[in-house]
Amino acid sequence: MIASPASHKARSAIPWVTTAARLVLGGVLIVAGGLKIGNPSDSVLAVKAYQLLPDSIATTVGYLLPILEIVVGVLLVAGLLTRVAAAVAALLMLAFVFGIAWAWAKGLRIDCGCFGGGGELKDWQEPSYLLDIVRDFGLVLLGAWVVRFPPGRFALDSALGLTGPDRTRDDEEETGDEQG
Amino acid sequence: MSKGERQKSAREKIKEQQAAERVREQRKRLVTYLTAGAVAVAAVGAGWMWAASRSQSEQAGGDLAPITVHPDNAVVMAKSGVTKPVIDIYEDFQCPACRQLESVSGQTFKNLAAEGKAKVVYHPITIFSQEPTRSNSLRAGAAARCVADGKQWMAYHDLLFENQPSETAEGFKIDQLLAWGKEAGVTSPDFQSCVTGQKHAKDQIAYTGQVQKSAKIQGTPTVKLNGVEMDNRVIFTPQELRDQVTKAAK
Repeated sequence: MIASPASHKARSAIPWVTTAARLVLGGVLIVAGGLKIGNPSDSVLAVKAYQLLPDSIATTVGYLLPILEIVVGVLLVAGLLTRVAAAVAALLMLAFVFGIAWAWAKGLRIDCGCFGGGGELKDWQEPSYLLDIVRDFGLVLLGAWVVRFPPGRFALDSALGLTGPDRTRDDEEETGDEQG
Repeated sequence: MSKGERQKSAREKIKEQQAAERVREQRKRLVTYLTAGAVAVAAVGAGWMWAASRSQSEQAGGDLAPITVHPDNAVVMAKSGVTKPVIDIYEDFQCPACRQLESVSGQTFKNLAAEGKAKVVYHPITIFSQEPTRSNSLRAGAAARCVADGKQWMAYHDLLFENQPSETAEGFKIDQLLAWGKEAGVTSPDFQSCVTGQKHAKDQIAYTGQVQKSAKIQGTPTVKLNGVEMDNRVIFTPQELRDQVTKAAK
């Protein structure tokens, strides 16, 4: 393959970008889940505040969400099952974007409950839907990047040999065979 | 066998070995992958169960502890002779978080009082200052003060929270408040005129003012244990709530 030095440089930067994306996305998830996990009832309340899901499902989601965020966050930071974890994280963030947009469109006055709290706003507080949506959509993009270019540097996946045979090396071997 | 043939078969052997190696590696990879996945899913499941069990509401035990209603003040629920620890519950019938507190931990408060482990004091107040929530809350608060019998008051109190209206619409209407009275088994002949005439509306307002001055609460629901505000995380987690109250009883 012919590659200019510049594009080669860009290619070698990709795994580092993936690592950075993993750390940011995973870090946010761990913090968000950690702030919520000690208070499951608030978490349930925050989900219900969206008035999007029926009560019984909202309760389940409220209990499930904090631990799911933490586990997916840890997987991302560790770079274990990177692709699956990133896909789940991106879908989660996409769901949050949808939920917040829904609350906004419906004219609800709620706090997104992203980092704990029961979704209630005090009288003097203003909802921050746009900021929440932009932030979560940015995280969706990070997740998509990791899905496209897993697993990045410092990933357990690589250490455990979970990344599969290196495509380029395989190609080289086969070409080598033909030449020999 | 010619030299060429020998070379060829040796090369094939190596190829076979490489293929077998590849299959082995693939299998190993699959096992590692599935193991990691299973551990992750199990962690999520365990955390979920833990969250659900910590916040599992208690079941109704035996009878309620005796309840005394003071129409112009608070409502006290305690077994005779039990004076401490004191649990003060400041709540508003219109506040959604109070409704949540009642549905999650309401039974724990009742059980603790019935077991003689605490004296529980309900302070129904009107925290809202905007419409329509303020009028909704006032109507409900005034109506509850019309129920003199303790058991009936508790049934009415529970019904009000169960049927809490939206914060954006007029609710707790007089005819609804009367119907729930019937459902709660309110027998007093004065109940209807008391609710319709909103006899205790000014008591509700006056008591709210009194509470806000003396108890200095930040909002509803507020729960105090022996005068010290309890953490939201605790009061919304029945198991932890019970642990803290039981510890204070010692």
